[in-house]
Amino acid sequence: MIIETFDISILAPAFIAGLLVLLTHVPLGQEVLKRGIIFIDLAIAQIAGLGVIAAASLTGEAHGWAAQTIAMFSALIGAWLLSLMEKKWPQQQEALIGVTFVLAATASILLLANHPQGGESLKDLLVGQILWVTWPQLVLPALLSLVVFGVWLKFNSPTAFYPLFAVSVTVSVQLVGIYLVFASLIIPALATISLKGWKALFVGFSFGATGYALGLLLSAMFDLPSGAVIVWSLATTCLAGGHFIKTQLLKLPV
Amino acid sequence: MLSKKISALLCCLSLLSLPLVHANAENPLNVFACEPEWAALATQLGGDRLSIYSATNAKQDPHHIQARPSLIAKARQAELLICTGAELEIGWLPILLRKAGNGNIMPGQPGHFSAADHVQLLEQATILDRSKGDMHAAGNPHFHLDPYRIKQIALSLSQTLSNIDPAHRSHYQQQLALFTQRLDSQISIWEARAKSLQGKLIVVHHDSWIYLEKWLKLDKVATLEAKLGIPPSSAHLSQVLEKMRATPADFIIHTDYQNDRAARWLSEKTNIPVISLSSSVANDEDIFQWFDRLINALLETTP
Repeated sequence: MIIETFDISILAPAFIAGLLVLLTHVPLGQEVLKRGIIFIDLAIAQIAGLGVIAAASLTGEAHGWAAQTIAMFSALIGAWLLSLMEKKWPQQQEALIGVTFVLAATASILLLANHPQGGESLKDLLVGQILWVTWPQLVLPALLSLVVFGVWLKFNSPTAFYPLFAVSVTVSVQLVGIYLVFASLIIPALATISLKGWKALFVGFSFGATGYALGLLLSAMFDLPSGAVIVWSLATTCLAGGHFIKTQLLKLPV
Repeated sequence: MLSKKISALLCCLSLLSLPLVHANAENPLNVFACEPEWAALATQLGGDRLSIYSATNAKQDPHHIQARPSLIAKARQAELLICTGAELEIGWLPILLRKAGNGNIMPGQPGHFSAADHVQLLEQATILDRSKGDMHAAGNPHFHLDPYRIKQIALSLSQTLSNIDPAHRSHYQQQLALFTQRLDSQISIWEARAKSLQGKLIVVHHDSWIYLEKWLKLDKVATLEAKLGIPPSSAHLSQVLEKMRATPADFIIHTDYQNDRAARWLSEKTNIPVISLSSSVANDEDIFQWFDRLINALLETTP
């Protein structure tokens, strides 16, 4: 156990990044679970990455603002295509999402095969690690997350869902990486599946925030990669929390 | 109730962060090494004057790294950073330095030692070369496999140690003299032992062994994976296979932190033996023992 790594200035930006991700992913995750389209986040993230790689192999470079704009634009187009699929083939939607994911992922490999540098750096461009987050990097995600959260509360509809989802996933994958995005989306939503409305949101946030805090503490205590530890602590916290809801909370008079 | 739980957690988090002891003059110099070979070299040159942390170990790929809290904490405390440079750590070092915000070890500061700045690199890309493949533009960064370059780096690193910690200049000079003397005599022993390896034909998984090839006069005839991380095309593999059937190589070199599937595939089809080599110094050995181990592994498999 390495006590010296309990440095609040290392862990605090990571914790706030987690809270920002939860802000949009808890409500959107509850929607994802309701619609039964669990792997849509993987597909969207992969399409955003594919957009950046495609732009880089056409123009040679894609960094900073250009890359961000392209990523966001590709994610929005991908989300629009996925929403068309939902309308046209509602029964096969989950399967089509899976197919979209493998197509986008392998398209990146094919594009990179002829890229002069092999594209090692491009592959990682859109995959963040929560511990690398610094305060200035949180400003734009904070604004976007608040906007997404507000818009979602006001226009809770299928038309709003896809573009909002595309924006949140593109932002959060770069902050915390794909594993944490998936975990933040699905695990709190699973734990609160028997609750509704504000109660579901509040309990989902609380479970999620506890999971992130605990995960960061454990990763500092045992010096383990933070993202992976948080996924496990989210799962354990939400398992315990879900059990608590089932045995205690639902028995109480509302 | 749950938010109380969270604030309680945050509370102990902030309490634990308080007692950070700062190093005084008699405490050892904190060194942050990006790769184990530089930690091992620093151990030779500084002895117990240095407290050394290595960000990666010999079983890890230094191109990629998972963010752990200790990485940032150690980078914050460091008075000297020793890395390969030449874009090897480009995927994580700039982010780590920004996150650590430690003025001592920022690029351009005396405490930022980039080994690539002190030796001549092979395979430096010209504009023409760049279209050919995945090489690092600055040159091939795996130069720690050449003991002559290790010696050059040792001279510069020792100077850097003296500059940062002038009170112990004579200690560093003494350590350097001992190290170079021992290295010189080891180099002649290694070269004598490896004489039988000269001119051997080898296949590599990826071009990370060129300095060793050049030093021991091995003759590389094929590379399995030209672009790291991108699986080779079937045309490339069948070309290699055909070449090996016509003139078989003596052995296939595989870096032990990489997947050995490509090497095994070729070996099964051609009966050329595979040698797994450690690309860096293990935790329980010094830099001399590691070179010994490399040469032993090569000699054991050589027909």
